[in-house]
Amino acid sequence: MAYSDKVLDHYTNPRNVGTMDKGSAEVGTGLVGAPECGDVMKLQIRVNPETNVIEDAKFKTFGCGSAIASSSLATEWVKGKTVDEALQIKNTDIVKELSLPPVKIHCSVLAEDAIRAAISDWKKKNG
Amino acid sequence: MSETGTQLKVLQTRPNQHKCWSCGDMRAEHFCGECGHVQPALPTDFFSFFGLPRRLELDEAKLEDAFYTLSRKLHPDMYSQASQREQLWSLEKTSQLNDAYRTLRDEIARTEYLLSLEGIQMEEQSKVATEQARALGVEKKQTVPPEFLEEAFELNMLLEEARMGEVDDDVREQLDATENSLTARLKGLRDELHKVWQRWDAGDVSATGAMVDVLNRRSYLRNLLRDVQEVLG
Repeated sequence: MAYSDKVLDHYTNPRNVGTMDKGSAEVGTGLVGAPECGDVMKLQIRVNPETNVIEDAKFKTFGCGSAIASSSLATEWVKGKTVDEALQIKNTDIVKELSLPPVKIHCSVLAEDAIRAAISDWKKKNG
Repeated sequence: MSETGTQLKVLQTRPNQHKCWSCGDMRAEHFCGECGHVQPALPTDFFSFFGLPRRLELDEAKLEDAFYTLSRKLHPDMYSQASQREQLWSLEKTSQLNDAYRTLRDEIARTEYLLSLEGIQMEEQSKVATEQARALGVEKKQTVPPEFLEEAFELNMLLEEARMGEVDDDVREQLDATENSLTARLKGLRDELHKVWQRWDAGDVSATGAMVDVLNRRSYLRNLLRDVQEVLG
């Protein structure tokens, strides 16, 4: 199966790989997995407490090229958005942007899950 | 009793049997019981194909015997002199037979197949759960426990380091221990799966949830074991 150019771009040149301090109150961490393929994805956000804007995002994904590209794209998209705006991102948006084939839709699902899990973790800390 | 009445009664008592296209007698699944002619390949599930109930514990030796027997009897070579439609049916049925046998003889494939017959697609479960959570505005329940993901993540970090650097004695020792523990846990999951099978076979329909749970954890452990073994070389 051939990867689309955008997947290849994110895969060979992933944005925002790394980790943040899990203990920080400004940081939300989402750790999610797709049992279909055994992938694990960690996505972290740092939120400005004044504005609720996501100022930085990092990810680390163990999985296929599409999973890495999906999470890389997700970090790009959430940056600069408020947490409420980031919650509007749907896996189908990622599928469209990366032209993922049907067998790779679960990778985009994973990325949406990761965003939501990170925001949920941040909300718990700041609830 | 009228003729229609008799036919109706026969159909009710033998619901999977139909009239043989050739001699008109009631036939068994694959061949007419009376004249022995091969019958059309009808859409059927793999359990029914072998005349088995939808149960998960099955005698694999018997299944194999049934496969070889049918395989010989349905072989397209046996029908080279037969009518064109019989040639086609023997081919179609052979293909059904191979699919059915490949699926049922494997414990995991058999379990996943049964789940799919029950309307549970392993491939779809994550997407479905995400859509539900999104619609309800709640946090999605991950299909595997969080500590499981944590462990998978940490082990992947270790494996990544090991791949990039030298696998020294310390790392090797750690990975050896991990390999042993993963192998033991996979064996434990197999026992767990068999227990869930028994629940299902005894009529407990709620066992499907437990099956999905075991298969999900197994899928992670199997991938991790494969990766550990790859790094250990």
